Amino acid sequence: MTERSTAGADSAGSVAADPLRARFDRARVFSWAQTIGIVVLLAIIFATPGFLAGPSILSLLTTVSFIGCVAIGMTLITISGNIMSFALGATVGVTAMVFILAVNWLGFGPGLVVGLLIGSLLTGLQGLLIGWVRANPIIVSIAALALIYGVTQAFTEKGTIYADPGTVPASVKGKIAGIPIEFIVFLLSAVVAQLILSATRFGRNLFMVGSSFRAAEAVGVSTWRTVTGAYLWAGFFTSLAGIMLAIRYDSANMDYGVAYDYDAIAAVLVGGTAIGGGQGSALRTLAGAMVIASVQVMLLLQGLRQEWQYLAAGLIVLAVIILQARGSGR
Amino acid sequence: MQEVLSVRGVSKAYPGVTALEDVSLSLRPGEIRAICGENGAGKSTFVKILMGIVQPDSGSIDINGQTQVVRGPQQAQSMGLGLVAQELSLAPHLSILDNIWLGSAEVPFLHRRASFRVRAKQALETLGLTDWDLDRPVSSLTVGQRQLIEIARLLARDARVLILDEPTATLSDADIERILGILKGLRTQGRSIIYITHRLGEVFELCDSITVLRNGQHVATQPVSETTREGLVEMMLGRSFEDMYPKAPAHADQSVRVVVEGLDVPGTLNKFSMTAPRGRIVCIAGQIGSGANMVTRALAGLVPSATGSVTVDGRPMRLGSVPHAVARNVLFVSDDRAAEGLFPQMTVLDNLIATRLDASARMGVLSWPALRRMAASLAERVGVDRHRLKSQSIALSGGNQQKLLFGRALASADAGVLLMNEPTRGIDVGARAEIYRIMRELCDLGSTLIMTSSDLEEVVGIADIVITLYRGNVVARYEDEAIAMSSILADITHPTQAVA
Ligand SMILES: Nc1ncnc2c1ncn2[C@@H]1O[C@H](COP(=O)(O)OP(=O)(O)OP(=O)(O)O)[C@@H](O)[C@H]1O
Ligand SMILES: [Mg+2]
Repeated sequence: MTERSTAGADSAGSVAADPLRARFDRARVFSWAQTIGIVVLLAIIFATPGFLAGPSILSLLTTVSFIGCVAIGMTLITISGNIMSFALGATVGVTAMVFILAVNWLGFGPGLVVGLLIGSLLTGLQGLLIGWVRANPIIVSIAALALIYGVTQAFTEKGTIYADPGTVPASVKGKIAGIPIEFIVFLLSAVVAQLILSATRFGRNLFMVGSSFRAAEAVGVSTWRTVTGAYLWAGFFTSLAGIMLAIRYDSANMDYGVAYDYDAIAAVLVGGTAIGGGQGSALRTLAGAMVIASVQVMLLLQGLRQEWQYLAAGLIVLAVIILQARGSGR
Repeated sequence: MQEVLSVRGVSKAYPGVTALEDVSLSLRPGEIRAICGENGAGKSTFVKILMGIVQPDSGSIDINGQTQVVRGPQQAQSMGLGLVAQELSLAPHLSILDNIWLGSAEVPFLHRRASFRVRAKQALETLGLTDWDLDRPVSSLTVGQRQLIEIARLLARDARVLILDEPTATLSDADIERILGILKGLRTQGRSIIYITHRLGEVFELCDSITVLRNGQHVATQPVSETTREGLVEMMLGRSFEDMYPKAPAHADQSVRVVVEGLDVPGTLNKFSMTAPRGRIVCIAGQIGSGANMVTRALAGLVPSATGSVTVDGRPMRLGSVPHAVARNVLFVSDDRAAEGLFPQMTVLDNLIATRLDASARMGVLSWPALRRMAASLAERVGVDRHRLKSQSIALSGGNQQKLLFGRALASADAGVLLMNEPTRGIDVGARAEIYRIMRELCDLGSTLIMTSSDLEEVVGIADIVITLYRGNVVARYEDEAIAMSSILADITHPTQAVA
């Protein structure tokens, strides 16, 4: 929208605008407000004593990776016009469990494959329901959440299951060039997701379906395949988080993914992906996840309890939603 | 006489675009004013400012002699202004009755009052819609029918200044005739009207005076009696222009490409059959509700309940699947650009290439340089400013959005079958001639065009073959010289011979 037009047909009325006036355009004011908000937030964070010390930076980089991978998956769902899923957190838990079981039984490599498959398929199935049957995405995700918890509870009485000693190789727990492997996986996921979004036909279809479902149908996009695809990928990125958690703790528990859905949607929105669909980017979600995780680490460093983290995430989401709504007004 | 409305020096700029610059206008009671201008000239922006939907950067508005700051549509309504917007703005899941009163300042919180029902009914009746069920949901109506509801909505309210932004773009002549009659009646009651249209015939039939905008600037305001059609076009475009409809060349190859047999859509279309040759433009003419636009929708694969046999280039085509139709190079342009055409938040570029992704993807990976080139050349071809390829498509003017939908359908290099409902809806005279020229070009390359249009002048001007429909049944088929306005009009309104 910052394009300057000169002559031509739509140009009708396109004399370059007075720059001063353009700056007071409402959408811009709000997008500036958003940027300023984030900068101020980051300033507070970095001013927090101890934040820049090695240990807390490292813990930030690992925390953000788990939330971040879920957020990358959530980004695809949001862009596809299906708002969000409440089942991704549970999917993190269930992939962690299945991964540990499979590792104990089949070994590490096959365990990885099984873990990724389970997460992708579980979520993909929800996508199929939403895309093919045109079921309401929120309801489907809530139902899936209940089902996942119900089924896993029936099978695991103990709560936590542990990996047999020596099954998970130490090499996948370390750092590469001082950076935790988890964070590298997260960065790669963001790049891959961004490539899917911007360089593939599927990515374009995803934006079209999210922007206008009926128009996408009318130009011949297979809407159900596109929606299912979005959920399959969302499940894939989410299961990465589950597997990384299981590797990190050599164990799995259904509590691992609790509240990740909220942090993830917060990251997606802070990154500037529109809640209504059809607009957004995975790289911006990466930035959003960094902001959310930084806030959480800061709150911990300030000595505030877990509850404050939820409150903070809630406030941030609220602020972003208000900014988005006002920014799109004229 | 005191002016009901007086606008002075209104300007509005969007980032990078000046939509209006120092435009003034004043309106007397009982005056019908046309606002004319190219696509993107600023007409819709101007009326949105009057209604408080868009806030101007500068300028002032006087209503009944008092300077007002119009903050929103509700306030504009309470000051006696009413608008039929260019884009349909109905809530599809609500009933006709609810939609007629939606957003009205008069309606109390609980509005199931009998008087509102009666007034809604009356408004529909003045439009000749006596048998409409007020409780029907709007989603079951066609685009033209929805447009009538928009107009009924304005009539049901008591506005002193009625503003209509392209109200007739999807309506058939009989409806338009009736609406023009109603508007003339309102004039005698002393109400004033601002009327925006690209159908210039309406300007000369209805309006007292014309204001012409070009590039967001006021060009002229003058009485209709002192204006000729040629003069008006010249003021709008800044150049004169002659031929609207290019003539069809005599074709050697007119082999049949599309054969439709016994196409049935329950409730709308009855055993419809036709053939469409290569290189020709087939128009299906019919009033709202005749099922004309259902033929193209069904062929495009958009109607799940459609049955019948269709062959394209000798091979049968399955109905009910758009991807299948697209794979056979059968493409569709919708008449409902807001709900079924545009990807509003996506860029102009994304909108133009929507149908070409397959062609420029290898193993699902897109080639952006090729797509960008394609979009740029398409934009050039249909007359959308190349500098706006990166703008959100919703920021384009209505007519320019329509050009995107048309441009998108010029998909592949191979000659395809184009199905178009109201392809030139809202496009200005100059650009429209260009679109007709492109249609002929496509024909020369061997494409087959099947279209519907509510504009009979357009049908007669561009069609090689016309098939008339009445209440879901074919009345007659005309070819070349046999195509005449009078017989088409007779067929679609009071058919004498009903062909089974
Ligand atoms: N929200 C917006 N953001 C940016 N530019 C806009 C916006 N709305 C309108 N414009 C621009 O303002 C100019 C005038 O648009 P407007 O819709 O008033 O044209 P119009 O005369 O109604 O054209 P049409 O005949 O096609 O309906 C166009 O160049 C358009 O692209
Ligand atoms: Mg307009």
